[in-house]
Amino acid sequence: MESTLLVQSLLLALTTAGLYAAIASGLTLEFGVTGIINFAHGEFVMLGAFLTYFLYEAVGVPPLAGMVLSGLAMTALSWLVFDGFLSRVLKQDEHNQILATIGLSILLINLAMIAWTPDARVMHAPPLLPPLQLGDVIVPGNNLVVLLVGIALYAGMIWFMRHTRQGLLLRLAADDPQLAVLAGVDVTRMFRLSFLIGGLTAGVSGGLVALILYVQPLVGVDLVMRAFAIVALGGLGSIGGALIGAVLLSAAENLTATFVPGGGSWGYGVAFVIIVLVLVVRPTGLFGSERRA
Amino acid sequence: MKTGLTRLLPYVLILLVTLALVWIDKPFWIQLAIGVAITAITALAWDILSRTGQVSLGSAAFFGIGSYTLAIFEPLIGLTLAWVAVVVVCALAATLLGLLTLRLRRMYFAIATLGFALSMQVLVVVFPDWTGGSGGIAPPVLADGDPRWQLGLIGLLLLAAVALSDTLLGLRFRPAFFMIRTKPELAAASGVPVVHMKIFAFIVSGVLIGLAGACYGGLYGYVVPTDVFTTNWSVLPLAIATLGGMDTTIGPLLGAIVLKALEEVARSVIGGTGYQVVYGAVIILFVIGMPQGIVGLLRKAGKLAGRRTATGEKKKERERHA
Amino acid sequence: MRDTASLSPARRSAQQSGGAILAVEDLTVAFGGLKALDGVSLSIAAGEITGLIGPNGSGKSTLVNTVSGQLPVRGGRISLRGGDVTGRRPDRIVRAGMARTYQIPRVPPTLTVEEVLSVPLLYAGRDRHRLPGLGDAAAIAAFCGLGPLFRRYCGDLSVTDLRRLEIARALACAPDLLLLDEAMAGLSHEDSVEVMGLIRNVHEQGISIVIIEHLMRVITTLCHRVVVLNNGRLLAEGTPATVLADQAVREAYLGKGFAS
Repeated sequence: MESTLLVQSLLLALTTAGLYAAIASGLTLEFGVTGIINFAHGEFVMLGAFLTYFLYEAVGVPPLAGMVLSGLAMTALSWLVFDGFLSRVLKQDEHNQILATIGLSILLINLAMIAWTPDARVMHAPPLLPPLQLGDVIVPGNNLVVLLVGIALYAGMIWFMRHTRQGLLLRLAADDPQLAVLAGVDVTRMFRLSFLIGGLTAGVSGGLVALILYVQPLVGVDLVMRAFAIVALGGLGSIGGALIGAVLLSAAENLTATFVPGGGSWGYGVAFVIIVLVLVVRPTGLFGSERRA
Repeated sequence: MKTGLTRLLPYVLILLVTLALVWIDKPFWIQLAIGVAITAITALAWDILSRTGQVSLGSAAFFGIGSYTLAIFEPLIGLTLAWVAVVVVCALAATLLGLLTLRLRRMYFAIATLGFALSMQVLVVVFPDWTGGSGGIAPPVLADGDPRWQLGLIGLLLLAAVALSDTLLGLRFRPAFFMIRTKPELAAASGVPVVHMKIFAFIVSGVLIGLAGACYGGLYGYVVPTDVFTTNWSVLPLAIATLGGMDTTIGPLLGAIVLKALEEVARSVIGGTGYQVVYGAVIILFVIGMPQGIVGLLRKAGKLAGRRTATGEKKKERERHA
Repeated sequence: MRDTASLSPARRSAQQSGGAILAVEDLTVAFGGLKALDGVSLSIAAGEITGLIGPNGSGKSTLVNTVSGQLPVRGGRISLRGGDVTGRRPDRIVRAGMARTYQIPRVPPTLTVEEVLSVPLLYAGRDRHRLPGLGDAAAIAAFCGLGPLFRRYCGDLSVTDLRRLEIARALACAPDLLLLDEAMAGLSHEDSVEVMGLIRNVHEQGISIVIIEHLMRVITTLCHRVVVLNNGRLLAEGTPATVLADQAVREAYLGKGFAS
């Protein structure tokens, strides 16, 4: 009984880990390249979730296609935001950089509240895959989809960074911006590219959110807080660390909710305890490097 | 480099406005002034901390700890000692957080302080026997619920915050703080005990925010965790200080007045849901348009208006300093 | 070569009373597995100007950063005027009487020269009577040629003036021993001659000095003694003439260009 519960809990954790990894890897990429934490990253996820939701509920676009469209829309929005606004704070002091994306986050959340009310909505799409039965343990179909899409997004990013010319330039700009400038890399273009990729992954992740969670203006806040913890675990700027961080966090959360009495109400408290502890023990994250500190 | 008159301006302004509002006794304006004063205190406190290079997103932790400490200790040790407890507990929490985050820089520091603030909220929910959980807690009502006295008390706290901020902008602290912010090694090589100074700034900042939080909790005698531990109380001080003008005393005051006024306008136009959209819009416009804040803008205007007279006065002022 | 005979009698006795002002015994400093300093022992005589030289990566900066308390010590002992300062905090070491300059100081641009100098004056907690000409910020600034810039913002200063300010800041700590980290790097010939004059004047005040420097001209004209580091170990020490004639030093440090 206990062991079934444990396996069930860990399997569900694994599927949420796919979603967390997709969100956190976009956040960590943007930070690694630009040195800016995008506090509005969660709001791009939220907008993606609303878009997928409305595309399905109002127009009847299937969720998977909706996800792709959401990803593209958020890429476009990221472009707009970066060129119109964020590119101007890149050289400012840190408090202005922090404030800039927080301002954007507040703006988007409240616009969403005005447009769609603060109420939570649930997308009534039929499961995209049949549930997976492993002995006594059942994994719902949509959780499988989240796991698969999340991993695909994450793997796509890793592939892009390792095997394309643009990815190589991105890594160069992240590792050593001065060297990148000397090598003739257009650093501003790389900064923009990191935000475009971040927007794309956020938009698609939003679709995943609509599939297994709820759709609501504040849903991005919940998720981005967890992403911070993941990024703290994995090291700010480390995409590889994001996956490990995501698995660790969602395992910790699910285990707490399952086995600690009243642990379900801890919510993302687990995440914050992790943030504080990890940063205290290792200021650049468990798997991070020292260079951006 | 201010003249004696502008140095006194904030004190005179606060005294006059507070007394005038107490005298005319219009509830709306008193409530508005209380809101401005409380946010201004938190912004001044945030600014004091930021002068040592610690850009915090954890103000909400102290705001909440302040109101909760007052509520928890008042039945146990009486009202007066409970206020002392607010100071002590906030100072301890500030020391703890300051030591934990000592080695963190920039964004890491911001994230860790944010994490601390949100952990506090969870802590309250996890130990409901002590804290009332998510149902909230009842701190003693401030000044028996008379809004005019409430404003008077909070005005006094604001005056204290202004005086502290000015003191810390004096020759004894400002250069050392700025040196710690720009290059801590250089400060240490000048004999500054960097760790002590950073923790000291953290304590001053945390205690001020905690006292503001305790006042806030005492306004109605009832708070729930999401009132005081909300990220709003972490973001507002940063936003107000930056919009008004960092490293100054008048900046956070101006910022609080402007932002609260805009909030009221937005609340009446948009309504209760989503009115904070104005925060987002204002922040973005400021960050793009005037990153040095209102004070920076005024300085620039002042420079253009009377470069000659200004430099003449500056010289005189500096000679007086020497 | 300069000698102490030209100093006033009072200063001379003050300088000669100490013997070694800074003594380092078997000092080891490591980053991870890499030993940046490997059992270095040396002593700096009171009242002298000592040159610290060595090729890039030889451990000069590590030595300065370690004795000034900025880097942790893995093994060995550092003593200042006979008192153990191993592992002490940098601000404590300043109080004990050793000040240092940074090659790239990075002062807050919104502070004036006066305000920067006020920091050590307020915090270093040193007895100033020993240095009568350097009692307050204005005197120190004037001493370092910053008199006219006293109330200017650091953000408006030239590179040379920032170097002067850095020396002035260290002087405001009222040190017994001053460590100068490449005070002349990147300066024009005229400017470096001026800064050399300033260093001499500082020495005349009775302050012992250690200079890290790449320019041999500076070492030979200013220093009484030279210490050479190579690969984290002490390679040679002695008067500039004997050290620069040493075959091992020529091979390790000076290379073909200088050796010929």
